[in-house]
Amino acid sequence: MENFLKKITKDVDLSFAILLSFCVYVFFAINIEVFFSHNISFAILERFAVLGLVGLALTICIIAGEIDLSIGSNAALCAVIVVKLTDPLGAPLAMIIGLSVSTLIGATQGFVIAFIRIRAIVITVGTLMLLRGVALLIAEEKTVMLTDFRVPDFITTKVLMYFSPASLTVIFIFICVGIFMRYTKYGREIYAIGGARKEALTAGIPLRRPMIIAFALSGFCAGFAGTVIGLKSGTAQGLGLQYLLLAGTVAAFVGGVSILGGKGGVLGAAIGALTVNFLNTGLVFYALQVHFVQLFTSVLLVIVIVFQTMSRVFDSRQARKSLLATIDERKTSLLEKKRSALGR
Amino acid sequence: MSAIIENNQLPFSAKFLQFYKDRTLLAILLSLFAVMFIYGIFFTENYLTITNFKAIIRDAALYGIMAIGLTFVTLSGNFFLLSLKETASICGVTFAMGMATGFGSPDLAGNFLVSLLAALTVGVVSGVIQGYFVGMGGNPIVVTLGGAGILYGIGAWWSDNLVINFTRPHDAEWLGTGSFLGLPSITWSFILIAIAAEIVLRHTNFGRKVYLVGANKAAGKATGHENFSMAIIVFTICSVCCAFVAVAFVAQMDSAQSNYFSAEFGSSGDMTILVIATVMVGGNSIMGGYGSTLRTSLGAIFIAMVDNMMVLQGFNSGPRIVGVGLMIVFSIIVFGLFAKGSRAQE
Repeated sequence: MENFLKKITKDVDLSFAILLSFCVYVFFAINIEVFFSHNISFAILERFAVLGLVGLALTICIIAGEIDLSIGSNAALCAVIVVKLTDPLGAPLAMIIGLSVSTLIGATQGFVIAFIRIRAIVITVGTLMLLRGVALLIAEEKTVMLTDFRVPDFITTKVLMYFSPASLTVIFIFICVGIFMRYTKYGREIYAIGGARKEALTAGIPLRRPMIIAFALSGFCAGFAGTVIGLKSGTAQGLGLQYLLLAGTVAAFVGGVSILGGKGGVLGAAIGALTVNFLNTGLVFYALQVHFVQLFTSVLLVIVIVFQTMSRVFDSRQARKSLLATIDERKTSLLEKKRSALGR
Repeated sequence: MSAIIENNQLPFSAKFLQFYKDRTLLAILLSLFAVMFIYGIFFTENYLTITNFKAIIRDAALYGIMAIGLTFVTLSGNFFLLSLKETASICGVTFAMGMATGFGSPDLAGNFLVSLLAALTVGVVSGVIQGYFVGMGGNPIVVTLGGAGILYGIGAWWSDNLVINFTRPHDAEWLGTGSFLGLPSITWSFILIAIAAEIVLRHTNFGRKVYLVGANKAAGKATGHENFSMAIIVFTICSVCCAFVAVAFVAQMDSAQSNYFSAEFGSSGDMTILVIATVMVGGNSIMGGYGSTLRTSLGAIFIAMVDNMMVLQGFNSGPRIVGVGLMIVFSIIVFGLFAKGSRAQE
């Protein structure tokens, strides 16, 4: 417990994330009577199953110092594949195929980025469009639908009051990825190439392996989010799910990643995703139109960016001040020595 | 010195090869142009007609103008804006509001100049605000992603997510559907803006500064050209270009809605990504400092040509999006491989 407190007070961004999510939750809990109840908690966790994964995917990429813009298209492609294949092959096999396609796409992106040494935003804008086109091709420009809507019931049944199999799996994925990022060599490599790429490469860390792992993980998470959305609603569109990029980015940035890379973690991603979920779920009660949700989510993003930039500027000023102070100290001590030597 | 003399004495074929080596991507683009053109002549009906070429350039003009604005941002090393279509849509809504209601005062309703000024003002304001955040040290992608949501939200809120109509005849017809010397006005604007941008980038102080800041931020800062003011100026230029396209498009359609430029618009599903694609296919370096608006214009015409041919061949939107996506990925990979280790890369 003490360790935990120390960690939180040391990490300004994480404590800001916790404060922000607490504020959002309390705001809605006070204003809306039913917000603080079992059913709403279940609904929030259901949304967490989708948004948390997208936030996690973007968090991993941003930790590696890159950003993956193709996440929405990847999720849409996976959703289309899963929904289309569920009828002939059954849900489990369709899920395996869809997830392996998404993971493979992510790994390929990582390989290309590491091989050409290009920035990820450049290549992922291209794949954003390419994957969207492929999803449209597979769906034949139509909305793909399940014929038997009872098939996906197995992921939406309530377990233990708050959970469903989908959200339990997502929490399991979070724990696994957290352990992977924190305690294994491969996870630490991702942090290394994000935080200080030149130094890491000079120290002998290969660029390809962590890059491929990071993007494969992000592709897997995006694909899983697409699968959950597709199976839950029973439909999928090639042009859909583009809003995931904004929501995921907000979740990642609220969770305290830095765009410079090498900072943040899975705990932050979970808190960030929960904050966005609180906001989205709370706004449902005001019966607002879709664009208001987008507006408020973007305002949240801007708040977080401004806070991060300000804290960075503040930090650098503090560092400069302390540097100047130490220089002054040394100067005065040297002068005094000189004086005493001369005076004698 | 000897190298210069040698170069002068080289035979034509060697000079041609040297040209190819120096401008690899431009050359590849030109050869692809030629291949497309010949294929089009022989295998596509109704391809070699003046009407068709007019249609190609007209298509290219819409996203070409926006892409020329975006080229300034890309050249100055600020990557790109993800809020292009949202900026355009809010400016279009502003313009249509002015044409339909005159912002509340009936005297101004249908006044082209006031509506145009209002739309451009909205563009300038959004550009300045986003540029300010980027200049302060925010990441352009994240800032404009947030800006996109806010601009779309405000635009949809203001227009109640409805289609705003205004009736013909109105003062903006000459811009929307009028033509001059056989070419539509929007095509003329594209040509004029492309020439102006090229002159600004090559022959003015400001243009050279854009290249300097983009090629080397540290050198720019050391010589007194900080990215702060540069970011504000280039973002404003880009947003004004978006506003102009929106005005022309709304004048043509006689109506505006907050999601005119999104998923269902045009061939490729998304105006923002299409414009970014145009800049990339033209072969500009995304890291900044290398490229030109001429390349961007060529990229726009190339994408319009490919799209036009696929339409004439009877493809649906899926294969067309795949085609544009493949072009982007191809040009990125080729550019990355050829530019490896050169100045144009990181």
